[in-house]
Amino acid sequence: MSNSEKSYRTPLGRVRLLGSAHLGTEETARLRLTSIALVPLTFGFVWLVLSLLRKDYNGVRAELGKPLPAIVLLLFILAGVYHMQIGMKSVILDYLHGQLREWALIANAFFAVALGMICVYAVLRIGFV
Amino acid sequence: MATSPTAPKPMRARPLSPHLGIYRFTLTMAMSIAHRITGIGLYVGVLLLAWFLVAAATDASAFRAFSRFIYSIIGRLVLFGFTWALFHHMLGGVRHFLWDAGYGLDDPEREQLAQATLIGGFALTIAVWIIAYAVR
Repeated sequence: MSNSEKSYRTPLGRVRLLGSAHLGTEETARLRLTSIALVPLTFGFVWLVLSLLRKDYNGVRAELGKPLPAIVLLLFILAGVYHMQIGMKSVILDYLHGQLREWALIANAFFAVALGMICVYAVLRIGFV
Repeated sequence: MATSPTAPKPMRARPLSPHLGIYRFTLTMAMSIAHRITGIGLYVGVLLLAWFLVAAATDASAFRAFSRFIYSIIGRLVLFGFTWALFHHMLGGVRHFLWDAGYGLDDPEREQLAQATLIGGFALTIAVWIIAYAVR
């Protein structure tokens, strides 16, 4: 560090936020937060799928175009892809090592974001186009 | 850790830390593995949701292709598996939430929670599929 002996900064002040401290549990906390959200959203999603059974193309589009089903679906997708990205990350960190691990983490992030965006775009398109 | 290939063999085998193979099988252990497997299954299964939404957003023929698959025997089996994985993983999450809050970690409770996850997952799945066949 460039701190000279004249600095008034304490050793603690110099290292604060530079290490892993405080941040190590952040992702786990987000995993838990999304999991709480996903409990009611899962029931909402299952309810929605049950309401779509035996409906034809136009019937399904009419149902998904309604505000409440669309919002439940969008929240389920967003919380879901965020949750599954963190979950798969922990699986990758457990079982893969070296360069393969790095590529797997990149692929995981891309997959989750792309899938989320495709689903959100599709729901919005059904509702607004 | 410092033994090189040329070093003489130790007089007797050094103690090893316990590994997977020597643990007695427990239900909580199986539920932990099942939670991870259902999570991976759901990760892949979301592709089915994406296919459904993209088909519904595209046109009637794309939607017919999806319908043909999902109402086929294979499609129903996949969807049944997805339903079970969804409920099992969700109840596993509730169990983890209780544990995080400090409840249900002791001997009878954690076993009961594991049983509740297993039975509840199947019960919710079967209930939803009964409703699905009843409302058609």
